[in-house]
Amino acid sequence: MENELRQLLAEAQGKLLLVKTLADLEVERIEVLGRKGKLAELLKGLAALSIEEKKTVGMAANEVKMGIEKAFAEAESRLSVAAASAKNESEWLDVTLPGIAPEVGHAHLTTQAIEDITNIFAHLGFVRSRHPEVDWDYYAFEAMNMPSDHPARDDWETFFVKGESGEVKTGAKGKMLLTPHTSNGQVREMEKGVFPIRMISIGKCFRRQADVRHLPMFYQFEGLVIDKKASVTELKGVCDYFAKHYFGPDRVTRLRPYHFRFTEPSFELDISCSVCGGSGLVDGVKCKLCKEGWLELGGAGMVHPNVIKAGGLDPDEYSGFAFGWGVERTMMMRAGLNIDDIRILYKNDLRFIRQF
Amino acid sequence: MNNLASYNWLKEYCKTDLSTADFARELSLRSMSVEKIDIVAARFDKIVVGLVNEVRPHPNADKLRLVTTNIGAETVEIVCGGVNVVPGMKVCVAMPGSRVRWHGEGDYITLGESEIRGVKSIGMICGAGEVGFPDLEKGEKEIWDLSFIKAPAGTNLAVALELEDTVFDIEVTTNRPDVMGIVGLAREAAVAVGGEFLHKQPAAIVPGTSIPFTVKIEDTVRCARQMAVVIDDVTVAESPWWLQKRLLLAGVRPINNIVDVTNYVLLEYAQPLHAFDYKKIEGSEIIVRAAKPGEKITALNSKEYALDGHMVLADAVKPLDIAGIMGGNETGTTVATKTIVLSASTFDGTVIRRTARALNLQSDAQLLFEKGLSTEALPGALARAVELILQTAGGTVASVVCDTRVKEYEALVFPFRPAMARQRIGVEITDERMEQILHELGFGVDKSAEVWQVTVPFWRDHDIEAEVDLGEEIARMYGYHLMIGVLPAGSPPTTQEPVAITWERFTKKLLAGAGYDEFFSYSFTNAEDIAKYGDDATTAYAILNPLVSEQSHLRVSLMPGILRAIEGNQGHTRAAKFFELSRLYLPRTNDLPEEATHLVFGEYGYANAEEVFRKLRGTLEMLTGKTGLEMKLSRDGISEKWHATRSANIVINDKIVGTIGEVAEKIQQSFGVDLRVFVVTLEFERLFDAMKLTHRYAPSSEFPAITRDLSVVVAERVEFVALTNELKNDLLTLIALADVYRGKGVEAGQKSLTLSLTLQAADKTLTAEEANEVVEQISEVLKTKFGGTMRS
Repeated sequence: MENELRQLLAEAQGKLLLVKTLADLEVERIEVLGRKGKLAELLKGLAALSIEEKKTVGMAANEVKMGIEKAFAEAESRLSVAAASAKNESEWLDVTLPGIAPEVGHAHLTTQAIEDITNIFAHLGFVRSRHPEVDWDYYAFEAMNMPSDHPARDDWETFFVKGESGEVKTGAKGKMLLTPHTSNGQVREMEKGVFPIRMISIGKCFRRQADVRHLPMFYQFEGLVIDKKASVTELKGVCDYFAKHYFGPDRVTRLRPYHFRFTEPSFELDISCSVCGGSGLVDGVKCKLCKEGWLELGGAGMVHPNVIKAGGLDPDEYSGFAFGWGVERTMMMRAGLNIDDIRILYKNDLRFIRQF
Repeated sequence: MNNLASYNWLKEYCKTDLSTADFARELSLRSMSVEKIDIVAARFDKIVVGLVNEVRPHPNADKLRLVTTNIGAETVEIVCGGVNVVPGMKVCVAMPGSRVRWHGEGDYITLGESEIRGVKSIGMICGAGEVGFPDLEKGEKEIWDLSFIKAPAGTNLAVALELEDTVFDIEVTTNRPDVMGIVGLAREAAVAVGGEFLHKQPAAIVPGTSIPFTVKIEDTVRCARQMAVVIDDVTVAESPWWLQKRLLLAGVRPINNIVDVTNYVLLEYAQPLHAFDYKKIEGSEIIVRAAKPGEKITALNSKEYALDGHMVLADAVKPLDIAGIMGGNETGTTVATKTIVLSASTFDGTVIRRTARALNLQSDAQLLFEKGLSTEALPGALARAVELILQTAGGTVASVVCDTRVKEYEALVFPFRPAMARQRIGVEITDERMEQILHELGFGVDKSAEVWQVTVPFWRDHDIEAEVDLGEEIARMYGYHLMIGVLPAGSPPTTQEPVAITWERFTKKLLAGAGYDEFFSYSFTNAEDIAKYGDDATTAYAILNPLVSEQSHLRVSLMPGILRAIEGNQGHTRAAKFFELSRLYLPRTNDLPEEATHLVFGEYGYANAEEVFRKLRGTLEMLTGKTGLEMKLSRDGISEKWHATRSANIVINDKIVGTIGEVAEKIQQSFGVDLRVFVVTLEFERLFDAMKLTHRYAPSSEFPAITRDLSVVVAERVEFVALTNELKNDLLTLIALADVYRGKGVEAGQKSLTLSLTLQAADKTLTAEEANEVVEQISEVLKTKFGGTMRS
């Protein structure tokens, strides 16, 4: 009987090597290991043996059973790998197929820049504000320390609204105009009477100019701080913070004296040129983008006492600083954008809009 | 305004050893910005003085000559077309490798060796324009006669002409006309770069007595001071080279020694002067007055100007000069002039500016005058001019120094609180340093009390207007670049951003996320576009001074801009989803326009209007759903701007706040759009009061839902809502529209709707039988109320 058992093991081992599918293996399993299988049949003879024989044959039977089970396990493992591999082969995919883009829309480049700018100033506690785009002369000029007929008004190339008579439309606070700068929001913000002020107002401005670098409509972001001890060094800190975060830590800024009627002192903020790295030279030739290594970001300054007065405050008690920079210009000074004609921005060309 | 300032000239008044780059940087950081640095000698590399030995005809060309020219180490033969070249003449020779401009026009090119009409030519004999001095051109074919220079042949031109100089192109802010002069710039520079200011006032004019002359101001409102002096026996001629050179580097054309001196003083003192021919002035007097009715003057530019009350300098009978802007042609100096009247005036800047605009006439003098100049600048400038005229044109002072003014000068004095300045600047600058800066800039400082008294020098009497301006002088000369930036101290602001900004940001993100591309149109429109869109152009604000006719009005709708945008895109992008969220300008009586933010989103170039409508409606419902708005649609009162049967008004809180619909074909076509356009328009700003971000948790049922699809064929015009409103059952929690089918198997005029029913009970798991019962009941309603036929 022991021999028969060993023969069954050898037989099963041999057969299982030839089994081709998991289904055949299952058939074989029932035939050999099933309740009425060959092993069970053989072991029925165990009952007729003596106790001594039972011991030796029983041990042999255990060995054989384990051997057969092992053979089945090996066969199953072999066949599973083969089956999985065959399935994979039948499910071959061309991985060079082109991608299908998810259907995503595109916020306009300017919207994205406005968000970026808002977020940076938000970290410093600046709160967005909103002011008229069509405003009175008073807020755009008069209250900004530019009395009527002041030559500085010429610098703004202002659009005016036409009245019924065909002349400029006038009203409660002077001529009606398309605001040429977001600084019209300064006195308006102060008139709200809530202090201190840390405002960032981003809005449309209009000037009579259109070329590769100028748009008749553009956005400015106006920062305004009014507090009891605002200082030049704070203005410098805020400008630096913005520039480093918007343009990157490797860009350097400088404040350069300038003149605006509504700030005193006034500055222009320059940022080192991204093309020449601030050297003013590219391969030994003068950089075409900048002036001696610097790009003008925009104007800034300490709010003029007359503007603070116009806002209803005592300039001996309150001081402040303000800056007003072009959103598009700032955005285009970020390295790598590569827009050579600013007018593309508002042409509504989807081929442009979808690139950002 | 820009000042082209020669470094050599500056160094006559400001002692400094700084390199040009260092000087430019320090000046930019503390005073005025240097925009360009032009190293003059670099222009004349490989350009040398030549001495003409022999001039022979060209064998193959009548108009060319072969010129044997000594260029120092060697003698070369140069083909030359200059008509004035003669042996013994010193000329300017550009050698191969130098940079020249052909005939003084166009870009500079690098010269090579060439062969002209079969004869080899080494280099080129140049006209003045060809080496950068077009103002010195005497005739088209004339080469530059350099016989006046002493340097021998072969000398580099920059050396021979003493042009080893640097010209800074400096942007001068409009409040500082004093810095437009070399002296004023040197004063700034001395403080900014730490140099020594060397300028001394010129000696007072020694008056003469031989010619009587007087000045009178009749127009005492617009003219504050008038001075004049007569110089007799002058010789009008070309200016010496040193003087011409300075004018040329500053971009001013030399004319004759008299005019050149007035321009030189303008460049040096930033004070315009004018020289009249004494013989052409009647009555030996200059009168500053308003022009009389009908008076005309032909200015130095040879154009005639009709004057209408404008201020003039006049003699006894006629206007001599449009005050502050340009002299008369007839009374200027010519080679025949023997006696001149030098005139200096101070005018009101605003008046000069207005007159220049009115006459459309500009000049260097006017650009300075309109900034506002000091009465006290006149004596110094006049004295300097007399000194230079006597030096370059000879003659003697023949009159008294005429001087009349409207009122005595009183220097401005402002109080100054050093402690306040320190706080505003944010840097501990000592009293001593403050005083030093003010003093070096020419201010008088009386610090005997806690509040200082600071006297403003005359050259700053227009731009210094208050205490704060003195603080700026100190801060900038201390150096902004040396200050350490800090973040603002102080208590945090408590204001919130306006809801408009919050909702705009939210909506833009939502729409971009849903696949819509953002348009950004100009706020401008025009009457034609407004009318094409079916609105009344008289209800929009017109712009008084539009830049272009297409941008003549302020928009009252976003739609014309959007239709124009689609028209621009349809050639390359045949279908797209878009949105725009921006302000309109709706006129109001006696007030600024209402700046109403509107929203439009939509799609063009689709094949299936029903599907697009459903997508847009779905997007709209997402927007209203997320912002807590309850929306209904109504077909009532649809305007002719919309497709009559594919549109509905959007009703929120019983108010019509927009439209969802297909743009009327005639409007779409009038904008040149050849694709259909479906949009949602919303008066966005009117929704803010009702909008809220609702984040409220609703627990889900613990019991499973059963979904059953049901297809029914009904008449085309059976509306979905009318139908579903009739399908009421407590277990029916949702009716979704899975499909709409028309075509094979469905008769024309009919449609097959596949409804996806969700059935769910709150308290138990539904059995299949219970679900079947509900479906049966619904089928029955569909059959009886809508004449529906069930499809399986």
